[in-house]
Amino acid sequence: MASSRQDDPGAAPRTTESRAADHAAIDRLAEELVPALAAKLGATGLGEIEVREGGWRLRVRRPAGGENYGRRAGDRPSRSQPGHAGHGHAPGALEGHRAVRPPAGVAHSTNGASHAAPDAAARSAEPPGRRRGDPDSHRALATSPAVGIYQPRPDMAPGTRVRAGDRIGIVDMLGVPQDVVAPADGVIGASLAESGEAVEYGQELVVVELTGSPAATASGSASGGAPDAERGVDERAGPA
Amino acid sequence: MFAKILIANRGEIALRILRACRTLGVEAVVAYSEADRESLPVQLADEAICIGPADARRSYLSAPAVISAALVTGCDAVHPGYGFLSEDDSFAEVVRAHELTFIGPPPPVLERFGNKESTRRLLGAQGLPTIPGSDGMLRDDLHALEEAERIGYPVLIKPSAGGGGKGMRMVRSPRELESAVKVARSEAKAAFGDDSLYLERWLEDNRHVEVQVAVDRYGRGVHLGERDCTTQRRHQKILEESPTMALSDAARNELCERALRAVIAAGYENVGTLEFLVDADGNVYFIEINCRIQVEHPVTEMRTGLDLVALQIRIAAGEPIGLTQSDIEFRGHAIEFRINAEDPAHEFRPSAGLVERYLVPGGPGVRMDSHLYAGYEVPPFYDSLLGKLIVWGEDRETAIARAKGALDELLVDGLATNVSIHQALLTSEAFLEGRMTTNLLDRVGSAAFVAAAARA
Repeated sequence: MASSRQDDPGAAPRTTESRAADHAAIDRLAEELVPALAAKLGATGLGEIEVREGGWRLRVRRPAGGENYGRRAGDRPSRSQPGHAGHGHAPGALEGHRAVRPPAGVAHSTNGASHAAPDAAARSAEPPGRRRGDPDSHRALATSPAVGIYQPRPDMAPGTRVRAGDRIGIVDMLGVPQDVVAPADGVIGASLAESGEAVEYGQELVVVELTGSPAATASGSASGGAPDAERGVDERAGPA
Repeated sequence: MFAKILIANRGEIALRILRACRTLGVEAVVAYSEADRESLPVQLADEAICIGPADARRSYLSAPAVISAALVTGCDAVHPGYGFLSEDDSFAEVVRAHELTFIGPPPPVLERFGNKESTRRLLGAQGLPTIPGSDGMLRDDLHALEEAERIGYPVLIKPSAGGGGKGMRMVRSPRELESAVKVARSEAKAAFGDDSLYLERWLEDNRHVEVQVAVDRYGRGVHLGERDCTTQRRHQKILEESPTMALSDAARNELCERALRAVIAAGYENVGTLEFLVDADGNVYFIEINCRIQVEHPVTEMRTGLDLVALQIRIAAGEPIGLTQSDIEFRGHAIEFRINAEDPAHEFRPSAGLVERYLVPGGPGVRMDSHLYAGYEVPPFYDSLLGKLIVWGEDRETAIARAKGALDELLVDGLATNVSIHQALLTSEAFLEGRMTTNLLDRVGSAAFVAAAARA
């Protein structure tokens, strides 16, 4: 396993707080993300998985010649406690899953959208430009940590600068707020769900234009949202 | 009747409940984990909602996630299926607190029948014979030794919580007892959060016979006959049939009637299953009640022509049962084969992965309840049940003949399955002559059993 901080540690002096935050982040990644990725690695038969969460990049690699034998159906991908209350969910874990095997072209919604036919072809029918965790992408997506009612933070209008891990809204699950967090440093872009809307676990809620990307620069300087045309260009410029 | 039901389960039972909802004309929402996004119930549902990640503790076992999903989709009832939250009385209570209906016994009934030891006493008082056992929970080692002496060795140490044979230990001497109690206590504590233990006499060669009942809110009920679940591997049922070969027709009928009278008198409600052990001399002992729809319910459906899941939903909605015992007709013989993703060549190790081809058997009296399809990827996170093949015939011989054909037709390419153990059973003398016992496969060794059948 490899884990590294992406931004230059020399760029800003490290305070006690930032060090403590880093330790907490490492603990959380090790406890939640690593077992999930290891399980995914076992399940998919891939050799290596790399995900980025916030400023962190995490790579899990299968030992050479390692086989997935001896796995039991009861094995769980994560050792974390049940997510009943609002502790830190790891949107990065989700992204890791998606990056490895993106959702098939199956439409899901809470109001009865039709589902794709269950054929193997659907598996590869990935919508273009929606791949997450893609290192070349200029956008990241904040997803829902729970099933419930979505409430964006009113002060998180499009154009607002955010850091990875910033709370940009909540999903109310039986009266317990679950944090929706920015998956990466960037600028708030388009909203993909309305305030007060019922959302499902993992649902894409907010686009975050990554800092340094053309879209973020454009929308960061203007007060409006990320221009759609520009995002369209980004999508087309994505990996072939 | 309900307007909309949340199906809080996965796999074949989620599909089975969806079908019952359609039959009843009730809308249904399938709640699923991220690992089940491409599963058949999700594909077939009019409405589906992702409630959490693959880890069942944060999806199918998370009461807040399930209830939140029911509320945001406008459901008025939750069907828990089997396993997961199906027999959790605190979950049922929380469901009710949110003004939703739990499809199963009402919370107070679940609570009354939730503890195995007290249920044994409750139904024992209503005239059901129970296995000689300890007087209440074991207080300490001395109490355990005294009680074991009184019951007679060998004895079985059983945790009060839990099920599925988990945490049980058989001991043959006082010397073994002390250390086994210690281990059983810590295991029960770790597995169920409750270290209460009790003792039962160990019945060496026993058979497992269970009675299906259905009782409405108004105390009217019927029994739907019995099922024989003797064929087990490591305490897990793999084949169920009805009628049982372990009892005469008169004894079967008497058992079913006694079971029904006892549960009505004890205040049971909804569908339920009373499990009994039958010893080598034909003595019958009550062991526990399952307050849910069971995996093997289709065996009963094939013999009675009833839709048990629809009946369960109607009873939960407060409808009168609308049946009397004389309405129930038992026809022919039914056998269910649990098709598991397990590799008989490698100690029945669970398998997961892509189903490359899938062909379902057919013909008269053949039914397949399964969530498989070609191109489906079986996730590694849950139990290994891929589906159930159920066959019916006018008599046992016909059912067995149809089963042999159906098992040969069944094709699941890409995964190892346990089909060969079923084929071995259908040619084994012990099964054909109705001489199975619950421990037979484990005593012989399941792999050796399959190998012996292949040589024959």
